[in-house]
Amino acid sequence: MRNLLNLLARYNNLIIFLLLEGIALYLLSTGNNYHNTRVVKGVRGITRGVEQKVSSIRSYFRLREINQELAAENTELKSTLESMKNKGEQLFFSVTDTVYKQQYTYTTAKVIDNSVNKQKNFFTIDKGEKHGLSVDMAVISDDGIAGVIVGCSKNYSVAMSILNLDFRISARIKSNGYFGSLNWDGLSFKHAVLNEIPQHVVVNIGDTIETTGYSSVFPEGIMIGTISNYENPGGDFYLINVLLNTDFKKLHYVNVIGNMLKAEQLELEKSFQ
Amino acid sequence: MINSILRYSLIFIILILLQVLLFNNIEFSGYVNPWIYVMFILLLPCEISAWLLLIIAFFTGLTIDLFCGSIGMHTSATVIAGFVRPYVMRLISPRDGYEPGSDPSIAIYGFKWYLIYTLIVVLIHHTALFFLEVFRFTGFFRTLLRVILSSLFSITFIVLLEYARKRK
Repeated sequence: MRNLLNLLARYNNLIIFLLLEGIALYLLSTGNNYHNTRVVKGVRGITRGVEQKVSSIRSYFRLREINQELAAENTELKSTLESMKNKGEQLFFSVTDTVYKQQYTYTTAKVIDNSVNKQKNFFTIDKGEKHGLSVDMAVISDDGIAGVIVGCSKNYSVAMSILNLDFRISARIKSNGYFGSLNWDGLSFKHAVLNEIPQHVVVNIGDTIETTGYSSVFPEGIMIGTISNYENPGGDFYLINVLLNTDFKKLHYVNVIGNMLKAEQLELEKSFQ
Repeated sequence: MINSILRYSLIFIILILLQVLLFNNIEFSGYVNPWIYVMFILLLPCEISAWLLLIIAFFTGLTIDLFCGSIGMHTSATVIAGFVRPYVMRLISPRDGYEPGSDPSIAIYGFKWYLIYTLIVVLIHHTALFFLEVFRFTGFFRTLLRVILSSLFSITFIVLLEYARKRK
């Protein structure tokens, strides 16, 4: 017994170290997983007040830029509206027609915390369950896709950014429709990598990459970016570098897209697997 | 005693706020992020007992984790930094040992000693931090490059802050 106590006394620092390190590693392994942001979500409420203050100061400095972006978007929407008007005279459809049933809902939200310099980046937005948001909804900016919601509290949501090593999305080349899987390689916040495009496909630098809508998270045809260069790593597939259209360094206002028919799609798909 | 607790609490709050409000927003090439909060572990008194240092390190890391939404990452890296600090101090101790009741600072032990001391602890902290972040060894040299670049910035800022602290 005495020997044991002596041993404990001699190594007490090592024991405390191992204990604290064990707690930290346990927190690390349980708290940061994809779809397991409970800890993050729970405790981040404490620091959220500070984040929101900083964000509101920052948004004040960027008002001019945001105004310009909004004006540009307005012009674009107006021109689409104009083109729709002309078509409307020729089309005939009743309100109850299920073909025109709305599938996607849009909610605007403000980004209150964001990062681009980690290997697993997340951002926080100021809307939550109260506003109808839930896990697995898509987040897009005005320029293209931004991420997927991984955790919701009452007033806030945490979204996994494209700039996260765990992020994966099905994407296709707009010009020829070949699809592959897009993920981030952890290098630059401006680029992502598109895999699984077979070698016989003609790929051009500058081609648009967009979402496929296979995943039931993102609607079809949302801009992701353009091909900046591609190489042939020696397998059956190209390694395509995609210049992301969304500028994550100035991500400020985003749209959250909810798929109203997602449950139906998933249920059907599940019954065939 | 109470006085020094107050003083260190104040330094703690200042360092955390500097880290969260200022240094987390400075991004060199969107790739390098200086983590200067580890300076709090560096500036605690020379004679602090190892267990207290570990517990302080744990809560320092936890505070940063709460702000950065990365539970456990900074905590484990900072606990490692707190664990190695006594060994580093023993390794590079000056010829006539440490003066009782002194802080490890430039003013007392000189620039060269402080730089080596900071370099070793920050490098260990950043190595643990960045490898825990990616949690894999693929792209080992890229992570290593991030460790080295970020450490350079952190060390520079910590040394500058140390000069500013002594001025006060």
